[in-house]
Amino acid sequence: MKVSLNWLKEYVDLENIPVQEIVHKLTMSGLEVEDYVDENELYKDFIVGYVKEKKKHPNADKLSVCIVNTGTEDLQVICGAPNVETGQKIVFAPIGTIIPNGNFKINKAKIRGVESFGMICSEAELELSNDHSGIMVLTEEVNVGKSIVKELELNDVILEIAITPNRSDALSHIGVAKDLASIFNKEFHLPEYTLHESAKKVKELASVEIVDKINCPRYTAKVVKNITVKDSPDWLKKRLTKIGLRPINNIVDVTNFVMYELGQPLHAFDLDKLNGQKIVVKSTETETVFTTLDSKERKLPKGTLMICDSEKPVAIAGVMGGENSEINNSTKNILIESAHFNPSSIRKTSKALGLSTEASYRFERWVDPSSTLLAAERAAQLIADLGNGEIAHGSLDNYPEKIKEKEVLLRFERVYKILGFQIPKEKILQILKKLGLKIIFESENENRFLVPTFRPDLEREIDLIEEIARIFGYDNIPTISKISISLGEKIDETAFEDAIRDYSCSLGFYEMVNNPLQKEQFASLIGNKIQILNPQSLDMAFLRTSLIPSALGVVAKNINVGEKNLRLFEIGNVFNLKNEKKEIKNFEDFSENQKLIFIVTGKIQDKTWNFPEKYFDFYDLKGYINSLLIKISLDNVLNDSYYHNGDSIFDFYFTKNYEKVEIGVGGKVKKDVLKQFDIQQDVFCFEFDLSKLKKIKANSKKYLEPLKFPKSIRDFAFIFDNSVTYEEVIKFIKKSSSELLKSVNLFDLFESETLGKNKKSMAFSLEYYSEERTLTEEEIEKDFNYLIEKIKTNFSAILRGA
Amino acid sequence: MLDERIKKITAHFNQDISAVKDTKQLEELRLKFLSRNGLVSQLFDELKNASKEEKPVLGKLLNALRNEVTEKFNLLKDHIDSLEKESVEKIDLSLPGFERTIGSKHLLIQTLNEIKSIFKGLGFSVIEGPELESDYNNFGALNFPPDHPARDMQDTFFINSDFLLRTHTSPVQIRIMEKTKPPVRAIMPGRVYRNEAISSRSYCVFHQVEGLYVDNDVTFAELKGTLVAFAHQFYGENLKYRFRPSFFPFTEPSAEMDITCFLCHGKGCKVCKHSGWLEILGCGMVDPNVFDNVNYDHEQYTGYAFGMGIERTALLKYGIDDIRVFFDNDFRFLKQF
Repeated sequence: MKVSLNWLKEYVDLENIPVQEIVHKLTMSGLEVEDYVDENELYKDFIVGYVKEKKKHPNADKLSVCIVNTGTEDLQVICGAPNVETGQKIVFAPIGTIIPNGNFKINKAKIRGVESFGMICSEAELELSNDHSGIMVLTEEVNVGKSIVKELELNDVILEIAITPNRSDALSHIGVAKDLASIFNKEFHLPEYTLHESAKKVKELASVEIVDKINCPRYTAKVVKNITVKDSPDWLKKRLTKIGLRPINNIVDVTNFVMYELGQPLHAFDLDKLNGQKIVVKSTETETVFTTLDSKERKLPKGTLMICDSEKPVAIAGVMGGENSEINNSTKNILIESAHFNPSSIRKTSKALGLSTEASYRFERWVDPSSTLLAAERAAQLIADLGNGEIAHGSLDNYPEKIKEKEVLLRFERVYKILGFQIPKEKILQILKKLGLKIIFESENENRFLVPTFRPDLEREIDLIEEIARIFGYDNIPTISKISISLGEKIDETAFEDAIRDYSCSLGFYEMVNNPLQKEQFASLIGNKIQILNPQSLDMAFLRTSLIPSALGVVAKNINVGEKNLRLFEIGNVFNLKNEKKEIKNFEDFSENQKLIFIVTGKIQDKTWNFPEKYFDFYDLKGYINSLLIKISLDNVLNDSYYHNGDSIFDFYFTKNYEKVEIGVGGKVKKDVLKQFDIQQDVFCFEFDLSKLKKIKANSKKYLEPLKFPKSIRDFAFIFDNSVTYEEVIKFIKKSSSELLKSVNLFDLFESETLGKNKKSMAFSLEYYSEERTLTEEEIEKDFNYLIEKIKTNFSAILRGA
Repeated sequence: MLDERIKKITAHFNQDISAVKDTKQLEELRLKFLSRNGLVSQLFDELKNASKEEKPVLGKLLNALRNEVTEKFNLLKDHIDSLEKESVEKIDLSLPGFERTIGSKHLLIQTLNEIKSIFKGLGFSVIEGPELESDYNNFGALNFPPDHPARDMQDTFFINSDFLLRTHTSPVQIRIMEKTKPPVRAIMPGRVYRNEAISSRSYCVFHQVEGLYVDNDVTFAELKGTLVAFAHQFYGENLKYRFRPSFFPFTEPSAEMDITCFLCHGKGCKVCKHSGWLEILGCGMVDPNVFDNVNYDHEQYTGYAFGMGIERTALLKYGIDDIRVFFDNDFRFLKQF
């Protein structure tokens, strides 16, 4: 919200307080000044100039060569404005001046061959309005050579304040002024006006009835007769333009002015357009179509609070008036509405219509129910003054059930308990009094306060403590330098995933962080997708069901920019409906699991002077997975299943299982899946369910004494049928050997025609040893030979080299 | 007599050996001192002539001499041998070595881990919570009344009227307090979602770290102290800071913490919007209504909570000017950190 410092000064004395300090203190008391413009600074170099002479530019049709008197000298200035004339007083920017619009500096320049020593300014260049049709022509009264700061009264400071949702009271100049009065311990005073009412009684001119008393607790109206709708005077226009509003006419401008002054949104009806000269406040019983004053037809849901006359709706309460009762230039008599509406009712309407106005913004945050009359009178008097109208005697003030001021108890020791610092009692009382709270009960340890109705946010003791801390200044509360730490159990739920990250990095993987929102096509690849009710775009309308699609997206993007060799991992949550037909009603209806993905593509090894190139293959992927499992001691806990025929994602794949439950799955990604991502090279990936992996108890680590006795190695190679798998052979070898055989390593594998059709050779080296003694040649030989015979018979395999 | 000669020959040998540069000279050295007729053997021959008393002493000296000379000779021989061998099979040491890839954690995770380790040092546990949350945990329990403008502060992605993508990590506070009795001291890192237009400054997904401490006597002064300690560790000892009143429905009093802009050192620049200050986190004392919602006695217990964004922190720290970089996962970016 934009606030004018000069305007604020009407209600609180801020003389001699530097702008910087006002900005700092406001920010530090909770009204954050996000930005400010100090006109005194902005316009300090501009002066009033006098156009002594105007000639046509010799080389340009649209330019003029002017002689501008600056009070001390005559300068030649080129001007492009069509309206520049001899004898005008204008705003002149001498060389060195910074022009606000565009933030550029005026330099001595040669324009089409003619020198120019400054610039004659338009309102737009000064950021006084959007008018850049011509230069700004000043009135006769201004003094040539003097600063425009003084001559044009451009001496305001405009503050841009961010008002938090709890501070509806600060959405006006008096609201901010009250805080300033409190901060600087100054007197605050409400605007002064004297109401001049005519003899005609308002009750004879109009009436108000509230039907929906819950959503409209108070409705106040004043009537002003025989007004002339016209332009507002300069002072009013200036007030509004300074805070970024566009002046319209004296009626609309006054209602806006009073809203920004007092915080009460007002609406002016053309009284003669109200049937029966009656206001009825009620909620709609059916869906209604209504045309608002911006000429838009709007569909209002049932239950919308409306302002009606005796026959028809004339305004959407608290949001926007209707076209049918709008003020125009021929309006003579007006009814000024100043009401208090139920915040949540206005918010519902505003949300339902997708229509937020300055009025609805304030009503949905709470408008002080006690000031409706003040605002109505203030506006009526201003309108009467500016439009030569007569105010009808009295007001229509319908307030069936008065909203009471709340009582709040403050125990002084609670201030200490929350803040950890004792603010003196006198200071506490001073702060709260300045904020408008009244003491209704006093004692040594506690006081009871009455909270004014403009502070709906102050309901509880803690709310008062915040006010005390805020005005006292957070920076004045000490910062302690010691804390005590309880010796209770500390847990780190992220420790496991962090360990996984460390191991993944040491395997050469780089971590991705992907957006879990994705398009339907990707979310449909795996699992039961969950849809976003209000997505930003179709590209982000679903939650990911797996880490695979987004990882493939990253692979595709990187290949596109020439990064074709990738080793990536990600840890993130995936979301699935448990039953795709069932809507989410509670946490049991969906799963959110943490997953880990490894994805590799391209080369594991580029060709170098001493190494041949090598592409990633299935066994690299499998190796990475197993290396990781070794580090987290789960290598012997999980077992593998292999699937040659693939599924919807993989050509072929394997799974890691724990007690028959699948913990992870991965393999070679199918071509037609890759095609959806525009990937033309092989991709291998593996996805673990970390939520499940985390829960598996790892084998506890125990120290093993280094072996004291020698190992014996034996090798053999067999020719097997091609259908025999490595896994079958390994299992058989282990089964057919004694406990002396400690490990088996496949060190050669090949097929060739010399072996025969559908045959392959597998060569193993076997490691024998005992932890207790040195083995004899005989016992090893016995084991080894027995094994050879068993393999021969079991697989019909042929021992090579025999 | 003999002991004089031993000393002489030792000196002689040391002088000669220092001049030896190649195998040929080495062989000359060996012949001169260590061969059958070499100087050392000659001394042993002379031992025969020594008196009975002198013999054991001189014998010891001679043995020591022989050992020293042999040892020095062998050392030099090894050295010369290896030099000559190398000159035969000399390799190009300037060829590139075989480098292995060490991957890296995402920059956001690195930043998060830094924050985590500081708070773990201050006695905080680390707790996680789900991203798909109930409206109640995300808003209701945190004292956001239904139909209240405070909800506008956080544009929300809804799944339906009761479930949503959490807009902050604060619902994890509720989950912890519903499960545990005080004292509670934990940080809660995680991913959050806001339905905001994507630009260089904002993204629809980002990361936060939430903090919560509840006990009998937790105060605003302690909140300030703890966060100042964090800021000093994370951003540097010399920074200035300030706590400014703000509003969050679930804390009261509420504050935002600013530190001096470390790009302009408080002078004012584009990044700090010419204020000289950078907002780094929001915080406050847990609102009694929140305690009521989790059945904590708000008379007995007090607590503080805070929350900070990771992306913004990382943007500032590493001079990145577009938040989308974090989610693009361009390999050229990932490899940099």
